[in-house]
This record gives sequence, C-alpha cells and structure tokens, in this order.
Amino acid sequence: MERTYVTIEGKSRGYYLLVTLLGLGSVSLLVSFIVSYLKGQQVWGVSNIIPWGQLIIFYIYFIGLSAGAIIISSLSYVLKWDFYKPITRLAVFMGILLMLGAMFFVFVDLGRPEKFWRLFGYYFLNNMTSMFVINSIFYVVYMTLMVFYLWLIFENKKKWAAIVGTLDVIWAISVHMGTGAIFGLIGNREIFFSPIKPFEFLAAALTSGTSLIILTTLGVFKFTGRHIRQDLILSLGNLLSWLIYVLLVLVFVDKLTHLYFPGREPALYLFAGNYWWLFWVFQIGMGILIPLFLLIYPQTGRTVKGVSFASLSVIIGVFGERAALVIPGTAYPQHFFPGFMEGIWGKPGIFPVTVWESLLCLGIVSYIALLFVLGLKFLEILPAQEDEAIVAVEGSNPLLKKMG
Amino acid sequence: MESAVRLPILIQGSKSTRPEEEKMPKWAMVIDLDKCTGCQACIVACKAENNVPHGSPEEQRRRRDIYWNKIIAVTRGRYPKVQTELIPMPCMQCDHPPCVTVCPARATYRREDGIVIQNYRRCIGCKYCMVACPYGARSFNFRKQDEMEYHRPDLPPDPGSREVWPFPVRTQGVVEKCTFCFHRIDRGIREGKRIGVEVLPACVEACPSCAMAFGDLDDPQSPVSIAFGSRTAFRLREELKTNPKVIYLPR
Amino acid sequence: MERGESSNMNRRTFLKLSALTGAAVGLHQITPPSSVVSVSHPPRKKHGAFEEKWVPTSCLGCSGRCAIKVRVVNGRAVKIVGNPFSLLSDGKVCPRAHVGLQILYDPERIGSPLKRSNREKGRGIDPQWSPISWDQALKEIKDRLRSLREIHKPHQLLMLHGLNSKSTEDMLFRFGEAFGTPNIVSGDGLDGEAEKTGNWMADGHHEFSAYDFDRTQYLLLFGADLLESGRPLSRLLRKWGKIRRERPSRVKIVMVHPRYSVTSAKSDEWIPIFPGTEGTLAMGMAYVILQEKLYDKAFIERWTAGFENYKKVVFRFPLEQVSTITGIPSYTIQRLAREFAMTKPAIAIGGKGAYALPEGSYHGYAIRCLNGLVGSIDIPGGLLYQEKPNYKTIPPVAEDQIAKKGRKRPLIQLGGSERFPFARSVTNQVPESILKDIPYSIEMAIGFNCNFMMTAPSTKRWEEAMKKVPFYIHLSPFVSEMALYADILLPTTTYLEEWGYEHSSPGAGFAEMRIKQPVVQPYGEAKSSTDILLMLAKRLGGSVEKSFTSLGEGHEGFVKLRTSSLMDWKGLLEKGVWVGPEYQYKKYDRIFNTPSKRFEFSSGNLETLIAKSGKRGERQREDRHRYDAVRFLGEKESYPFVLHPYQPLMAFEHGSQNYPWAQEIYLPLQGTGWDTPVEINSETARRLGIREGDEIWVESPFSKIKARAKCSEGLQPEVIAIPSGQGHYAYGRWQKGIGVNPNELIGVDFDGISGQASYFNTRVKVYKA
Repeated sequence: MERTYVTIEGKSRGYYLLVTLLGLGSVSLLVSFIVSYLKGQQVWGVSNIIPWGQLIIFYIYFIGLSAGAIIISSLSYVLKWDFYKPITRLAVFMGILLMLGAMFFVFVDLGRPEKFWRLFGYYFLNNMTSMFVINSIFYVVYMTLMVFYLWLIFENKKKWAAIVGTLDVIWAISVHMGTGAIFGLIGNREIFFSPIKPFEFLAAALTSGTSLIILTTLGVFKFTGRHIRQDLILSLGNLLSWLIYVLLVLVFVDKLTHLYFPGREPALYLFAGNYWWLFWVFQIGMGILIPLFLLIYPQTGRTVKGVSFASLSVIIGVFGERAALVIPGTAYPQHFFPGFMEGIWGKPGIFPVTVWESLLCLGIVSYIALLFVLGLKFLEILPAQEDEAIVAVEGSNPLLKKMG
Repeated sequence: MESAVRLPILIQGSKSTRPEEEKMPKWAMVIDLDKCTGCQACIVACKAENNVPHGSPEEQRRRRDIYWNKIIAVTRGRYPKVQTELIPMPCMQCDHPPCVTVCPARATYRREDGIVIQNYRRCIGCKYCMVACPYGARSFNFRKQDEMEYHRPDLPPDPGSREVWPFPVRTQGVVEKCTFCFHRIDRGIREGKRIGVEVLPACVEACPSCAMAFGDLDDPQSPVSIAFGSRTAFRLREELKTNPKVIYLPR
Repeated sequence: MERGESSNMNRRTFLKLSALTGAAVGLHQITPPSSVVSVSHPPRKKHGAFEEKWVPTSCLGCSGRCAIKVRVVNGRAVKIVGNPFSLLSDGKVCPRAHVGLQILYDPERIGSPLKRSNREKGRGIDPQWSPISWDQALKEIKDRLRSLREIHKPHQLLMLHGLNSKSTEDMLFRFGEAFGTPNIVSGDGLDGEAEKTGNWMADGHHEFSAYDFDRTQYLLLFGADLLESGRPLSRLLRKWGKIRRERPSRVKIVMVHPRYSVTSAKSDEWIPIFPGTEGTLAMGMAYVILQEKLYDKAFIERWTAGFENYKKVVFRFPLEQVSTITGIPSYTIQRLAREFAMTKPAIAIGGKGAYALPEGSYHGYAIRCLNGLVGSIDIPGGLLYQEKPNYKTIPPVAEDQIAKKGRKRPLIQLGGSERFPFARSVTNQVPESILKDIPYSIEMAIGFNCNFMMTAPSTKRWEEAMKKVPFYIHLSPFVSEMALYADILLPTTTYLEEWGYEHSSPGAGFAEMRIKQPVVQPYGEAKSSTDILLMLAKRLGGSVEKSFTSLGEGHEGFVKLRTSSLMDWKGLLEKGVWVGPEYQYKKYDRIFNTPSKRFEFSSGNLETLIAKSGKRGERQREDRHRYDAVRFLGEKESYPFVLHPYQPLMAFEHGSQNYPWAQEIYLPLQGTGWDTPVEINSETARRLGIREGDEIWVESPFSKIKARAKCSEGLQPEVIAIPSGQGHYAYGRWQKGIGVNPNELIGVDFDGISGQASYFNTRVKVYKA
C-alpha cells in the first residue's frame, strides 16, 4: 500500500510565528558571527587551555544527531520494516540539515573561516593523518549520499533507495566513528585517549538521534494535526532503551579504564573537579540513568509521555556528554613535570559561557530549525493526513476521536 | 609526512660535492637547570625578537595571553624541605610532533632540519594542534594585536612570497609558537656563520648564565652535543614518545 | 530679524560654540599630552631599505648600570642585548635590560614640561597639568631659586635623587654645592647604608663589597637574594652559571633566609631562619669556628686586630641560645660553620633582610667578620674592594659666601646630629624633618627621578611631607607617584636617549666604566637632567653659573671631559666600555682604612667616632652587641607575624612598572604576573582558616592593605611575605591599580649607627576579608 506524502500548508499563525522566531534567531547568528569575526575569538569563552568551546560541542553533537537520524531512517528502507516508513523522510531530511548545521559550527569556529576550503583539499594540500581531514572527506561523501538517498526516496525508487540507504548507514557509522576518533587518538589528553571513543560516540549518536526523531516526530505530527501510531513511538522507545544500555556499557568500560593508570588523575578530575556536574548530572543522570529508568519501568515505558520524557532527557544528557568530553578533557592542566605546578599553569581551566558564543550556537540551531520548518512547507516530507494506516493516538487529539 | 613546500636550505662551505647528499642538521637545545637562575631573560628576549604580543591582567587570568617560551614553577615537598624547580619550556620541536599529525591544512609541518614550522598563511585556526600539543607550546591569537608591525628589515618583506617567513605580526585567528628563531638560523647558514656559536636563537643568546646551548645534535662537536653528553639528561613527558629536542640537564 | 529671534540665534550659536569649546577642552584633558606611540615600529623608508646600527650604551633599569648594545633600525630601537666588551658580566644582561624598549616607548611618557593648576596636592587628586614651554618652566624655577639665594637661605632647597646615571649624580651634587644647600638626599638611606657601615666598621670601606665569584668554592647567603635583588644582577646571573657547571668543581651555595625565594630555590640548601636574626647566626657560626679553631690563623695573626675582644663578644652567644633565637637547630649551625670554614675559599654575603633592621650595621659587621675569620679578604675567591674609574678631575666648585654658609648648615636628614651622630644618609628621616621643620623649614625641593612615595617605608608620611613643601619640581620621564606632588614637572630623557658615564658599585673588583650615548632622538621635548641643571645654572648666573663653565659643551661635553682620562673618545663611543687595570689581590698593606691599618674584629673606626661624639655617642655604646633581640614594631600578641617585603627581579628601580613584558612574568616562583599575592606558610594559613586565593587583610600597627593569599611551603611559619614594586596609583595602563605596596605597612625605624631605614622589623596580623 502506497502512502502519499505531502507538504504542509504552512499558512497558520502558529507557523508564521515559528518562522519569525527562527528567523530572528538566524539574524542573531549573522550578527554574532560578524561580531566574533571582527573582534576575534576573545569574545567567546575559549582560551589557550580550553581551545574548543560551545561550538565544537555543538558540532560533534549535531554530527551525532545526524548519524543517529540516518541510522534510524535505515530501519525502513534498509531493514525493510515498513512500520517505520512514516518517519523515514523526516529522519533523512533531518539528517541532512543536522549535517549542514554541524558543518556550520565548524566553519564558524575556525579562527580564519575564510580559509575553510583548506579542509577540503585532498591529499595534495592536506595532511591525511589528521582526523579532521579524514572526517571532511567522510562528510562530503556523506552529504552527497544523504541527498541522493532523499532524492531516491522522493522518486520512490525503492531498490536503489535500499542500496544507497545501506551505503549511507555504513557511511554514517564511519562518519561518527571518525568524529570520535578526532578525540580518541589524542594521546596527551588522557580523558580523550581511548580506542573505544569512536564506539562511544556512535552509541551516543544513536541514542540522541533516536530521541530527536521521537521528539521531532511527536512535535511535528502534533503541530500539524497528524496522528502517529502509538506503537511506533513505543517501539522506538524500546529501541532507545537498548541503545542507552549499549551506551552505558561503553561509557562504563571507558571510564573504568581511565580510572586505572596512566589516565587516573584526569579521570578523577572529571568525576570530582569543577566540572563534575557535566558528567554526573548530564551525561550519566540525564543521558543514561533517568531515561533508562523511565523506559524500563512499565508505568512510564509504555506511554508516549514516558517515552517523550526519556527522549528529552537523552537529548539534554547527550549534549552534556559531549560537553563533559570537550571541556574537562582540555581543562585538566597538562603535567609537564612531576610536582605541583604553580600559578596559571597548574590551575584547571575555566570555561565561561559567554553571550556571543551562546548566541552564535543558538543562532545556528535556529537557522537549521528554520530550514527544517521551511522544508516541511516546500518538500513532501510528511505523510498525508488522512492516511488509513495512521491510527489515533490514545487521548491525544479530540478531533480524531470525533472522526472515529 | 613530507612537507609540501621544499625549502632550499643548503649548508654552504660543506664538504660533500652533491648538496642533496648533505645530511641535514638536527637542531636541538639543551637547558641546564643547574645553571639556570630562573631570571626569565629568555622569555623577554623572545618577545622582543619575535614581536610576541603581551597580554593584559584579564587575559592572563583567562589564559588568553601568548607565550612562545614560558617558565613553569613545579613544587614538591613540605616546609621546610621544599623544592621548586623553574623550568623554561620553549616549543619542544619534537621529532614525532603530535601537532603535525593533526593539522588538517598542513600549516604546521616538520622541516628536514627538525624545526616544526608554523605557516600562518595556511593556518585556518581550528586549534586541533593546541589540543594535541603535550607541552602547551602553542597559543592562539584571540584578537587582533594592538601593537603595530614590528618591521623586520632583515627578512623578505613580501608576505605573498612562497618562502616561509616569520610574519612580523600574526593576524587574529591563527596559532603561533616558538620557532627556534629559524629566521636567524637560515640567515646564518646563508652567511656561512656557525650555528650554535655565532648564531643563536634569541633566548639562548639572552641567557645570562649561559644555561642554554643550541646546535646540531648530529654534530659531536657542537655545543649542544657537548652539553648533552655532560651528564644525565631528561626530556619532558618522555612516555608520550614525541622525541622532543629540548633536553634538560638536572640539578 | 525679530529681536527675539536674533537673541535665539545668538544663544544657539553661543551654546554650540561653547559646547564645541568645552568638548575640545575636555578632549584635551582626557587625551594625554603626548600621542600614542607604539612599542617598536620603525618608520619605513623605501621598500625594503633599512638603516641599521648597533649603539653601545648602558642600562639604568636598576643600579647595576650594565653595558648594553641597542639595535636601531630606521631610527627606532628594536632590540637590546649585552655588550661583550663588558667584563663585569662577560657581556650578559639581566631580563630588565630587554624591557628597556618598553621603557623607551612607553606611550604614557610626558613630552613637554607641565605645570600644575590644582592647588591641592594629594593621592588621587588630579594635578590638572597644563603644558608650558621650557622657557616658562625654567624661568619660574630660576626665579624661585634666585629668591632663596637672595634671602641667604639656599639651604632651604632640598634635592632628592633616586636612580640617575653617575654623571647626573656628579652634576647634581655639584649644583647643590654651588647653590649652597647641604640637603642632597638619595635613596641610599633606604638601601644599603647599614651594609656599608658594617663593612666600614671592619675595614674602613664605606662601600658595597665586590666578590670574586669565579674562584669561590662556597657561598653562604644570609638572606642575599643574589638572583633577584642582588647588584650588579647581570654579573651575579652570569657567575652563578659559571661557578655551577663551567669549572671542574661545582660551588656549594647555602641560603639562610626566612623565605624560599628564587635564589633559595636555586641554592643547594635552604635553611629557614627567623627574620632579623642573621647577625645572631653569624655570631653562632663564629662561636663554632672559634671553639674548633677552624679560623685562618695566619691571616688573623698578621693582618687583623681586636681578635681577643671579638672572642669575648662571640662567646656570649653559645649555640643553644643562637639556635633558640634563629630557629635553626644547633647541629645545623655547627655543620654550616664547619663547612664554611673548611671549604676554601668561602664567602659570606648578607642581603637587605639582614641589614635593613635596627641593629643592621652590627649584623653587617658580624657577617663581614665571618669572612675575616676564614681569611676571605681580598683573596681570589673572596671578597674584594671595588675600584673606581679615575675620572678626570674637574675644577672645584665656585662657592660664594652664600653657598659656603648654606653648606655649613645642619642637614635635614639629621645625619651627624644628636639623633644620628654617625650617620650620613638618613633618607627615612626626611619626611619627619619636613613636617616638623627640624632643623629648619624646606621651601623648595627638586626631585631627580626619585619615587620615595613607593619605595620608602610608611609612605603616608612622604605624602604629607611633599604636600607641605611649598614648591616642588620633579624631573622624570613619566608622572610617577612623587610627581603627583610637583608644581612643575619636567620631562627627562630615559637612559636610552641621553649621555652619561656609569660605573657600578659594587662591580667585579676591577674598575669598569660604561658610556651612555643616545640611541634615538629624545622623545618630544625631553631633556636629560644634566642638561636641565646646566640650563638652570646658566640662568642663575653668578657663582652657580661659573661652577658649570669649562665643563664641556652640554652633557656630551661633560662626559667627554670626564672620561678623557680613561680612553679616547672615539674608541669609547665604539666600544662602549672602558675596563680598568687588572685587580690586585692581598693588598693588606694598604687596603685597610682603620686605626690599626688592619682588618678589625673590634671596630676601631666605630670607637673613634663614639669617642669623638662624646655624650651623643653614649646610646650607641649601650646598643652594641645586641645580637640577641630584634626590636620589632608592634606587640607579638596583637601582631603575631613579621612582615617580609621582598623585591622580585622584574621590579624596576626608576619609579615606574608600566611595562607589560615585566608585569606578565612578575613572580616566576608563583607562576603569575600582574599581582602581589601575600605569601603565608601553608600550616599557618590552615590554622587561621585561610585558603589559597582568599582575600585577606594584612594589618600592621600603622596601616592595613588587602590582597589575595598564597599558601606557600617556602616560608618560615611566622613570616608574611609580600612582593614590592606594585601598587602604583599615579599613571600607567599596565601598573595602575595593580597589586599592593607593602611599604605602606612598614613603620619608621632606623639602624642606630647608619640611619638606614628599617624594612623588616614590622609586625603584622592577617585575617580574612
């Protein structure tokens, strides 16, 4: 049975309000970028000890979301589970936009953004041992694959979509493992250095991607008055709980390893230093324990509400996980010589949250959201409203109840 | 990784007939911590020589000020048996530099003579090298520097030239670090002077207690080889196997 | 036009004009008189063309006056290095020399003479400078000076000088003589008078000692921060490296000091000692050396006097007593004494912490006698008698009657008076004398690059005193704290823009003279102090003017004349350095300026002085041999800690600290700059509940300041240490409002014999803010 996909009308007041708000956010992006470019990165929170700040956190977060979204989208075309068809286009479209957002974040974070093209020269101009270069190669192919994939889905070429989709999924895994390798291969930063960093990143990507899909689906469908099968969401919730479990295992193994020498001191700093809350409250608490509990406990795990709360928790928690890697990883002062290092060289770094950097990040997020919202209007992403396969969600839309 | 730009460094007056057979020198520095008096003349001389901008009190608190060479104080022990070591740390010019491994734009690369070059023209300011450097040798330009260009008339004035030159003033958004004053070394080689004796990096030249030696580690007669062989030597963070070329002689 | 309208028009125009004028005036007030000058930007000539030269001159960041070479490109100084012709330090310089570029190109220098409009004087009060011309300034000064002479009161002119070149010093002394004032006050009374007096008590040389580091085998430092505040620092830095690892035998260096300074860190041993008891320790060590007969018998028998009296004094200080007083275990004192006596040659050097105390001269004497005990006097590897360059003698001053009478008046420093019968330079007494008009009032003062507001103890007194002086002229390149009290501020050249001759005291034993020559054009309308004095002398006329003719044309001429006895002018300008004849050791037959013509363990010089002073000397007779108790200011119960202010290497001595290269790396042992943390012993801090980084008050019986705490393992538990050199408030983007000045806390006390200001005997208490 073929499903029809439509654009949304996009004429409601709510829609225009949303577009305006996101438009303002995008303007703030432009303003903060210009200010940062003119004044230099001194207006941000970064320093010589913590060189990577909010922008890099968002960058790896978005790549994770994108990779996660694509992998979820594979459930329908690649694994041939039609059950998930309604959300596939949404997921792939989100994947593309999130990837675009990630590239924006990198572009803006560069000290000399006008030279960004140097990231894309291959072999002759670039240093192939650098994970940034490997990643940039990955990203270009990934973007192409995603766009191709979405086009194939639009054209309803199922067989080709399956092939490209498989490729895309494999590539998405490589992309995010590559991002993990950016950190995992840095030997002097003990919190970073770990061969399972790519896997950790992948697990985090999957959980956050799934959660974002869940939340976006619920949000968009509700906002546009569509109804989504409860069991669709619940099954995604179930999948999410398994993914969180995998993430828990990986995080546990990684941190356990770091509690042994030689990475012990920095790990202790992560657990008990001035950024302990990033790890315990966000990464472990909101990213793993709370959602796991919510999803396992049947009272909450079998309701859409419970799943959506768990997803929200994961979204925030995984953001905290990225932050708990980037900030404490570099904030811990490197010990050049045994003993207590006096003065500024021995103090852990402090990363202040500054206005321009936050505005810049929120600006890019708004811009991507704006593109998404506009995309819904101009591309056929969402399934049609009167789809027979869509069954009313319990107690959600009184309109539907009336329709019977 | 071979560098994309070949630098025509030839040692004049050399014995070999074919220049490409000539072995490149391996520039290294030896710092004798027993002779070092912790005066910090090396720090100030480097700033004067390379027009390294200074920071403000706020920038030092926020760790945004630029140091090509820094002195760290490391304390052990309790009163009254306390020991504080003052250790100068320029860029270690490692033989296996982690920064070179991770630079995407090949803005930093290792020359055949062992000096790790930072090319400001190519640097895109991604700061990966700063994360990767185990010695904190690199600083980022967080703003446009106040001081006007320190004119270096002894160097080619055209920044568009393909030859690497030290760029008297760096723009905002690029990473900079100690260069072993390669501009002095290259000019010294061109003029046929003895490196390590007549031509020295600014810090080595300025050291009042002559605690620093510089020269070709491969040449057994150079000041640095003689210093290196004088007693037990150590390098910082040897376990990371970066093979730094700044060698310390202990107290 | 209607009448109302026209008045409107006029009113509007008037308002507009006045607003514009106001803005212009306001702008003029807020912009400094000089334009912003960047540190080292040489004006470009043709593309690629440049003109480069190396100019030898000498530095004046501190009293070391080391020889430097400055690289000048297109008329701009771009780099400073040492002058290899200087044998004082083998051509090396300390880090302060390199910062000279920032001194020269300090954007906040004054370019023209300034006159004060605001009658009020005080800290934080804007003088409201207005620029005037040199003619105006000099005319006003000349008029005032002349009026003093006309009423036959030239002694009411007070001349204060801080760090100036030796040629400028010679000039200003000459001016004082010619003018007729005996009141020429230098910073010596804050610096080393006690040390010099201690030396004089032993061998009649009222001088700093030079040391033959090259050949010494053992250095025992009594709080001598050789690597930070020692002079000449460049020589000390060079020789430290040399005697550590450039000889077959490595020197052993032991530092006895309340504080773990950079020098302590680089020494082989740091022995914490209770502050102010270094002289006692010297006595204790002498006790061991005498008891075990480890002294140099030959030297003592042949070339010393008063040994028996000395033994009597020393044996009053048995080891247990010394150990209790100093806090050092007896066995350590024994070991030190044996090592010191049996390692030959050995030198004992005292630092300001040992001398700037009420009994400082005696402490200095005790340390000097230690050197005598082991025979380290005028031998290779021992202490040396610094020789001076024989400048060409200049014709005597033409003193008229007014000047002669003026010169005979008592000094306002009260040196030679009942209060300080034996002292020469009692800088610390000047504020009180000014305030109380003893022995007479001061009508006019000229300050040559001095900044006693910051460097003297109890800065508040200086502020009140300078407020009282009716007319004050200050000469310096910038608006220092003392310049804030000036009625006329004259801009002087920095040391890189003027002529001069220098020799450092102490040096390396042999005499060495360094030239100063301008490396760049002077900034704005700045003139050197010597040139200003010559212009003033000319305008004053009479005997004053006569004293300055036939001294050569201007400052350059003066320098040329004075150095003509040493070497040829052209050669001197090229080399920059004249090195005197090689040092002769063991000049025992002619080197001791004492009654017995020998090294005296019981000071004949002092006895002579006391005898001559009759009743005035009684108090001194009582106060001798007070090695057992340090007189502290403040009761121990209320003020449990002793304040130890110290001078880090990066502190400049010419009145300004506005140099970011120095400020950034101010405290290497603490890994910070731009700050003056208060150092407290970690254990003590824990007891008081003070944590690292807490804001605390440090309060003495005289004042209190607030600063950040630093918990340190390297500090005697009863000592609070604060670095000096910061706390400026007069000018300077890079120094104003940064740090605190510990000198504000210090009370007024003197060494009885030399009048040296005491810095280290103030007690304080600390508590959280």
